Amino acid sequence: MNSRSSGSSWHGWVFIGFPLTIILVFTALPTVVGVALSFFEWGGGDRPRFIALDNYQAAMTRDPQLWLAMRNTLVFAIGTVPVTVVLAFLVAVALHARWFVGKTLARTLFFLPTVMSIVAVGFIWQWMLNPRTGLLNVIVAGQGADLPDWLGDSWLGLGTMMFVQVWRNLGFCVVLYVAALGRVPRSMYDAASVDGAGSWRATWHITWPAVRPMTAFLVITGTIWALQVFDLDVVMNGWNPQRFNDLLNTHIFREFKNGRLGYSATIGVFVLVLTAMITYAQLRWLRLSKATAV
Amino acid sequence: MSGHTHPPLIVRITLHLAVYAGALTMVLPVAWIVSTSLKSHHDAISAVPTLLPAGPPSEWQWHNYAQAWTIAQFGDFYRNSLLVAAVVTVLSVAYNALAGFAFAKMRFRGRNLAFGLMLATMLLPFQVYFIFAYVLCGWLGYVDHLQALIVPFLASAFGIFYMRQSIITVPDSLLDAGRIDGLSDFELFWHIVVPLVRPALGALAIFTFMASWNNFFWPLIVIDSTDNFTLPLAVNRLTSDYFTPSPPIRMAAAIILIIPTVGVYLIFERSFVKGLTLTGVKG
Repeated sequence: MNSRSSGSSWHGWVFIGFPLTIILVFTALPTVVGVALSFFEWGGGDRPRFIALDNYQAAMTRDPQLWLAMRNTLVFAIGTVPVTVVLAFLVAVALHARWFVGKTLARTLFFLPTVMSIVAVGFIWQWMLNPRTGLLNVIVAGQGADLPDWLGDSWLGLGTMMFVQVWRNLGFCVVLYVAALGRVPRSMYDAASVDGAGSWRATWHITWPAVRPMTAFLVITGTIWALQVFDLDVVMNGWNPQRFNDLLNTHIFREFKNGRLGYSATIGVFVLVLTAMITYAQLRWLRLSKATAV
Repeated sequence: MSGHTHPPLIVRITLHLAVYAGALTMVLPVAWIVSTSLKSHHDAISAVPTLLPAGPPSEWQWHNYAQAWTIAQFGDFYRNSLLVAAVVTVLSVAYNALAGFAFAKMRFRGRNLAFGLMLATMLLPFQVYFIFAYVLCGWLGYVDHLQALIVPFLASAFGIFYMRQSIITVPDSLLDAGRIDGLSDFELFWHIVVPLVRPALGALAIFTFMASWNNFFWPLIVIDSTDNFTLPLAVNRLTSDYFTPSPPIRMAAAIILIIPTVGVYLIFERSFVKGLTLTGVKG
């Protein structure tokens, strides 16, 4: 770092002043106010009315839909994140192998869903899984057979959303894993082939531990994204009616749209705490298993 | 797979098949809606779907696209989306790069505090802050105007962090030489730093453009009147009960929506992937 920077010692603020203001005004400040709002009743217009913990009490005792949505969101995260990460790792290992033909093509195809608007993703899967004309029903069962309602308000509908989530996030994880694999030193494998370790064992015993930091990154960010998922639910199911396969953020958005700003902030605080707890537990677990590994 | 010794042929073939089956799962649904978008209404909802539209390509229903465009008045929404994405991309990349430069190469009071504060905002979930961000936009008169989609996105913590990580690799000796020549901080940034971090700037521009173009949650909240819809909102409306055109038209609309991001991705694939992997995560 250079010590004789020109201008006063405040000079850097000319460069960061505006961007920092934007970030603080539209992110940090609204977070603080949002937490405060969870203790108020407010429709957005007149003065907010302080009601202490009433919102929290209502959430705990009088909102069964919240707990349904909480359960679904947890199922959604647990059911998608590990599958995505493990599948992405396996694909990346294959793509990284010297003998793999068409690396760039395969990588490009895997990444394609990641760049598409969620609205288009919703259209695509509603059309693919259409009970009458969907391609999947034709492929799986031929015509005339009775097939389940993939998009229904049921466990199956939740499962379909989870599948689409894996579908659209896999490519992102594959690309990051391929990059991570490129940074694993060759020498780590030399030692292994001396021991006569085959490719499968080398993958499991050397490659997988070597990319652990990337795995940690993907698991933690993937979990945070899964807990915040909203667009997918809205484009596939709409937000208006309360449903069996509701997700937390759809519930928050519905309360917000119904003019219950304070209460939606309260559920937002629940998500905030839940995210923080899960991230903390994952970090602890990763550090712990790292310390005991090897 | 170490690459020292190749696995047996049969294993290699199986793995290729497995990976390409996965890749096909990624592409087939997209190919299927492209195909649907070129069919007649009758063929699209037929109980015996065909993979390709009927007849030679010259007889495919290309006019579905023109129809989707006019029925949904996409011209206006395309203009809104492009305007928002272009302004956000140009300005936020500039602001993020300047701030990244300051955090990487300038010394000033409160730098570490400001940097830490900025990084911390990356952890905040939107479930908590969108509510008051909306109220704030209301007070500023942005609600239901395109400003609401532009102003809050003029800088991003991720963008600043990303540029700082790139600019920090520029050797101090180059900057010192520039200072001896009497260049100001801004001139150092413009004449020395920018040419050296052009790939990172390009990658950030691509990310920003895509994020802005695909943004759905926030526009859904702040934009009410149809005139100010962005393209995702307009296409999403085509599924609602009161206005549902036939499937081929809807699929054509979805294709129109994804062409810009898929196009940008395919053209800049290399720098995009490279930029993605430079985000400072070590593996």
